[in-house]
Amino acid sequence: MKFLLDQLEKVKPLFMPGGKLEKLYPLYEAKDTFLFTPGEVTDRPPHVRGALDTKRMMITVVLALIPCILFGIYNAGHQYNIVNQIPDTGFLDHFTRGAIIVLPIIIVSYAVGGTLELLFCIIRRHEINEGFLVTGMLFPLTLPPTIPLWQVAVGIAFGVVIGKEIFGGTGFNVLNPALTARAFLFFAYPSEITGDNIWTVVKDSENVVDGFTGATPLGLAAVAPEGVDIVEYLKDAGFDWWTMAGGLSGGSIGETAFLACLIGAAVLIISGIGSWRIMTGCVIGLFLGSSLLNLMPEDTFHPFTQLPFHYHLVFGGFAFGAVFMATDPVSSSATLKGKWIYGIMIGLLTVTIRVANPAFPGGVMLAILFMNVMAPVIDHFVLQAHIKSRRKKAREQSLKYVQAQR
Amino acid sequence: MDLINLAVKTIFIENIVLAYFLGMCSFLACSKKIETATGLGMAVICVLGLTVPFNWFIETYFLMEGAMAWTGVQALAALDLSFLNLLSFIAVIACTVQVVEMVLDRFFPKLYHSLGIFLPLITVNCAILGGSLFMVERQYTLAESAVYGVSSGAGFALAIVSIAALRKKIRYSDIPPGLQGLGMTMILTGLMSMAFMCFAGIDL
Repeated sequence: MKFLLDQLEKVKPLFMPGGKLEKLYPLYEAKDTFLFTPGEVTDRPPHVRGALDTKRMMITVVLALIPCILFGIYNAGHQYNIVNQIPDTGFLDHFTRGAIIVLPIIIVSYAVGGTLELLFCIIRRHEINEGFLVTGMLFPLTLPPTIPLWQVAVGIAFGVVIGKEIFGGTGFNVLNPALTARAFLFFAYPSEITGDNIWTVVKDSENVVDGFTGATPLGLAAVAPEGVDIVEYLKDAGFDWWTMAGGLSGGSIGETAFLACLIGAAVLIISGIGSWRIMTGCVIGLFLGSSLLNLMPEDTFHPFTQLPFHYHLVFGGFAFGAVFMATDPVSSSATLKGKWIYGIMIGLLTVTIRVANPAFPGGVMLAILFMNVMAPVIDHFVLQAHIKSRRKKAREQSLKYVQAQR
Repeated sequence: MDLINLAVKTIFIENIVLAYFLGMCSFLACSKKIETATGLGMAVICVLGLTVPFNWFIETYFLMEGAMAWTGVQALAALDLSFLNLLSFIAVIACTVQVVEMVLDRFFPKLYHSLGIFLPLITVNCAILGGSLFMVERQYTLAESAVYGVSSGAGFALAIVSIAALRKKIRYSDIPPGLQGLGMTMILTGLMSMAFMCFAGIDL
């Protein structure tokens, strides 16, 4: 540690104004703050003492993501070994196979996104921020394991540049960059990732694009024939509640495991990084939406409307989206009341898109993106209402005061 | 039920700004402040809600082929005046905008001044004319065209209010110099319409 610090101090003049490598100062600054806590503080008051800086905040999110990542890797390998009918595979085989599939995706995402971020920081002369560690990790987890690597690169480039950097970098973006990237891929290459098919890498294919296709639970539910009992129908296809909650089914890398997302949620809530209001709001919204649909007459509507709430909860990427995507502090609502509205709307929209929109079986991503757009409006109206009520209270109190004086 | 479906569809799924990219000029120019945006949104709801049904009358009873059969005159009944569509629609819109303008000037002078030139320019706003033309093309009934007018106005209002809020949010962002102002708004519009794509494909 001491050695590292000395080295950093030694090269510091090079990067300071007037030094040879002045242009690369953000790079030095990133190393410095990444490895150590720098001694400088903001030079103008007000000062708030707190141990929670952007770095700690972002790293906590990455830590909360670890169960999802590990499970995602395991599941990718598991699916691969099942589909290719490889005999005698144990835990370790699944895991190594999964790592071979998943790690390149994560590495490409980090490498391409990180390079672009670095370029922007050097040209725009602002500091490199740990926020990218989260974006670069969230994005691959929303992707299917069969995604071609060039699409990963294109997607993360779009997300980092258009979703974040042109707004001025971390903290200024209006949409969640990882979701922007995912939605961009979704609309740009819909045939590969619409979400109605299972994505499992198949051994013999030359490139990973030709994945094994079968239906995901969401895709199945959307095409269920009229008049069947949806729960039984899914069970027959091999998806009962526990299978889906456990997450050993096909889908995007990080989204299948409901339980892993729960661990992440616990970490985020206990550390106070993720807003419990938003997460609870999402679940309440989902409950309201699915209950409303359940009330509809069974025979006239699609059987999907009859799917009970707890199935919606473990379906697709809902848990992952609600825990990690919706709670992004930059793009979600900032006011407390606004957070409730924001969360509940996400839940409602998710059910609506899932059931009503045949084009997109996985609704949660688009629901969150839509609410990201609406979040400032919600905040605005919540604030206006607050100002109005405070003004009214103040008026009443001053009236009372005047009356008391008389 | 059909009317509610039509309203939802027009506001969200086929949003006149974000799905058809009509009415961009006032959408971009009047979205700097939320209050102005709300005002313009209301004005557009008013104008669209009035002009579309009114134009429906003109279309059905004067311009359409065989529309003048109600006069009972043989020569008139055979007339097809639909080539006058654009002209008469614009005239109706111009009149309505004049009325809205006078009302705003009288009752909401502050809003009137903040909207400035863009209020009379609603006359040539493509979203407004587009509303009437879509009404003809899709052969709406009177009730449908009234609902369509109001709800496409509401779609415009929703879009412009939310982009105004977004612009307020990025007011202090460190945006590259070349993109400040309109450039960033264009990109925001694109991102917004991507978010609105979540409704595309819903079949009501």
